Amino acid sequence: MKTAAGAFLGGAASRLLPLSIPFRYFGAALVYHLLAWLALLAGAAEFSHFAGGLGWPLAALHLVTLGVLVMTAIGASLQLLPVATRQSLPSTFWPKLIWWLYTPGVAALTLGMGRGSPALLGAGGLAIALALLVYALLLARNLAPARGMPGVVAHGWAALGCLLALLATAASLVLSYLGLPLLDRATALALHISLAGYGFMGLLALGMSYILVPMFALSAAPEERRILLSCALAVLALALAALAAFGVAPLALRLLAIALGTGAVLLHLQLMRQALRGGMRRAHGADFVLIRVAWGALLASLGGALALVCAAPLDMLAQLFVLALVGGWLLSFLLGMLRRILPFLAAMHAARGSRRPPTASSLSAQRPLALHFACHLLALALLVLALLLDSTLLVRLAAVVGALGAGAFGLFFVLLLARLHGSGSARAAASRAAP
Amino acid sequence: MKPDNPAAPLARRWREADGEHIDVRGLGAPAPLVAILQLVGSVGDGTVVLVHHDRDPLMLYPELAEIGWLAERIDAPAGEVRLRLLRTA
Repeated sequence: MKTAAGAFLGGAASRLLPLSIPFRYFGAALVYHLLAWLALLAGAAEFSHFAGGLGWPLAALHLVTLGVLVMTAIGASLQLLPVATRQSLPSTFWPKLIWWLYTPGVAALTLGMGRGSPALLGAGGLAIALALLVYALLLARNLAPARGMPGVVAHGWAALGCLLALLATAASLVLSYLGLPLLDRATALALHISLAGYGFMGLLALGMSYILVPMFALSAAPEERRILLSCALAVLALALAALAAFGVAPLALRLLAIALGTGAVLLHLQLMRQALRGGMRRAHGADFVLIRVAWGALLASLGGALALVCAAPLDMLAQLFVLALVGGWLLSFLLGMLRRILPFLAAMHAARGSRRPPTASSLSAQRPLALHFACHLLALALLVLALLLDSTLLVRLAAVVGALGAGAFGLFFVLLLARLHGSGSARAAASRAAP
Repeated sequence: MKPDNPAAPLARRWREADGEHIDVRGLGAPAPLVAILQLVGSVGDGTVVLVHHDRDPLMLYPELAEIGWLAERIDAPAGEVRLRLLRTA
């Protein structure tokens, strides 16, 4: 008789990647998380009036979007989608190649943005584009023969389509700094923001939620028909926003896009609420407070988009919109999920070949998580205040608090690895000592 | 637990001399995980639970460890993964 987790079927074993693959993405994301706050500190004086152009505010933004959000999304999707779709990855070579292209690419691109170097920006952008194209191929190869979970798969395909369009807009924006724009800058920027925030990252986050939230709440899967309806509304909203960016009835189509997008989000939130309320696990802890804050910020970002379209007379509206979308929604959501995924994934891997695997809770250091929770929320609140009061001092304070939180999250990750290593060594010693 | 999706198939459960059986084959994630944990949470001390699955339930093991249970793989016909779940704490 064998311990179950140590006796994986061939297919199942290959669906579970070696821990080093997803963890290299998550580790890099946590480093970039810290760097993002430090870049904000460097660009604090320009933050409140930032309206595009090279500089540390742009670098901070992309350290979050590319360094934290997309990095985490790649690591999580490479690990979770094969398990959900029951399709294995062809080999570990491709995820490793993506990481080796993508991670230094993000460093070069954001350094190029911060220091105002178009050459570095171009080199980093090229590496990122190559990495994301390989990732897109892997994602398509995983989704095409997928069995089951049509709602998650639909979100995956929609996110993939957005990623390809997003890469085109990113290429246009990078090339504009090299004097070779593909699209008008305003068009490229409008497409870039909607395709990145609500398209690629937004759809991945919504789609992965249908796996992760019921799994963490221990509830039944949401109804597929309603998941597909939410996805269809979101895709339609993105298509209308894209048409508006090209100048087709911009006001009407943007208003319609916001209405449809709000419908998609409200339907998604209703499904999430049902999953949380109907689950066996009722106490969801601080992780889900962050996730609830993120959902609130997602709705707030749509309100911000509406105010922008209606040209509401409020200073800093564009900055508040980006803060709600990127910091409030996507960053809070991914960090909330990561706090759960990291120990769970580590425990899942430790279970391989072990009769008594460590529990996820025994691998989690609670104090750094508590510090991160407080710092993250305080930093976001300080940034909102800083924008409303036009205060560089508050931006600096937010950056320092955010960096402290990022450091605490990094410490949580390091302690997790140490505990995992320690439990593995203890189990190996116990098995050697056993008669 | 009230099902969110009334059309979703349910796990089949029955009792035999060797313990409580649950067949979750054909169910989409996370229904097998939820059904198994519901059964495990409802049985008395010393009861063995036997799971009939169509794949290795990778996400089940951390959840079982968290509530003091472990899983052992036992022989099964081709195409089936059969687990024996035992309480350890």
